[in-house]
Amino acid sequence: MKVLIMVPAYNEEENIERVIQHLISEYPQYDYIVINDGSQDATAQICQDHGYHLLDLPINLGLAGGFQAGMKYAWLGGYDAAIQFDGDGQHDPKYLPLLVETMEKEKADIVIGSRFVEEKKPWSARMIGSRILQLAIRITTGKKITDPTSGMRLFSKKVIQEFATSMNYGPEPDTICYLLRQGAKIKEVQVTMHERIAGESYLSIPRSFWYMLCMTISIFFIQWFRKRR
Amino acid sequence: MSITLRVVLIVVSVITFLYVMRRINKSQMQIGDSIYWILFSMVLVILSIFPQIVDWIKQILGIASTVNCIFLVIIFLLLMKIFSMSIKISQLENKLTGLTQRYAIDQNRFQKEDKE
Repeated sequence: MKVLIMVPAYNEEENIERVIQHLISEYPQYDYIVINDGSQDATAQICQDHGYHLLDLPINLGLAGGFQAGMKYAWLGGYDAAIQFDGDGQHDPKYLPLLVETMEKEKADIVIGSRFVEEKKPWSARMIGSRILQLAIRITTGKKITDPTSGMRLFSKKVIQEFATSMNYGPEPDTICYLLRQGAKIKEVQVTMHERIAGESYLSIPRSFWYMLCMTISIFFIQWFRKRR
Repeated sequence: MSITLRVVLIVVSVITFLYVMRRINKSQMQIGDSIYWILFSMVLVILSIFPQIVDWIKQILGIASTVNCIFLVIIFLLLMKIFSMSIKISQLENKLTGLTQRYAIDQNRFQKEDKE
């Protein structure tokens, strides 16, 4: 299976070198692509100096736009699967073979690296948000997704084209919910994630609140009416 | 607030909601942009079903008629939308400018490399 690791990076000058060097030395069987989402820091420069495979977006598109750029690259490059892999060191590449194996064995459309298949979900503020989303997906689809906000997702060839070319296919729980409703096969495997080593997190408190509001409205009102073409 | 006005508001809200859904189904609108209109139509439906809320706002602000108060709420919501759209347009213009400049500079660099 020809697998592409998509590494979206926004202002990750402190992390990107370590993450990519690790991928290159330990997992040469997979291709990778760094998607620099218009960073203001030296992220692009570091990638160019080391000769890393780089999509350098000249302006900031946000997570969804950068992710779609990676999907387009995977689709045009004829990859069998593409995985979203954070550039800040939160994701551990040792789970990549497990995700790929699961996709092949289960013939899944999407495999999610979940923190909570076997582990119990804590009651922190962030995880209460995760519980609300999990419940929303349960109510609207009847399926159990234990870690809907996990950023570690492997997509099969079948869905890559859809993600690459359609509107409203962001890498977010509401898209997962929508695809579940349309009959996509989504599997989860247990992974452990690290705390980010350097740099700042993307989600502030007002942003998290807005995010939750959008996601709940989207799952309950919008995905319900959407039809797949 | 008259029954007729309440019914009209509810009907218009439902039509707005369905219209927004149609746009999303046809991939002509992003979900993030639709959230506002869905909340907007929800607010109108809630105010039509529970006019007590409007009466309460009316008393606080000292507005004579309920209908005027409804208008005020709608004008406020629309102003908020115009303001956020104005910000968004500025950002889009800025991005488009940056993109065009970068494109031209890259083209220039390619031409130089070709000559060498």
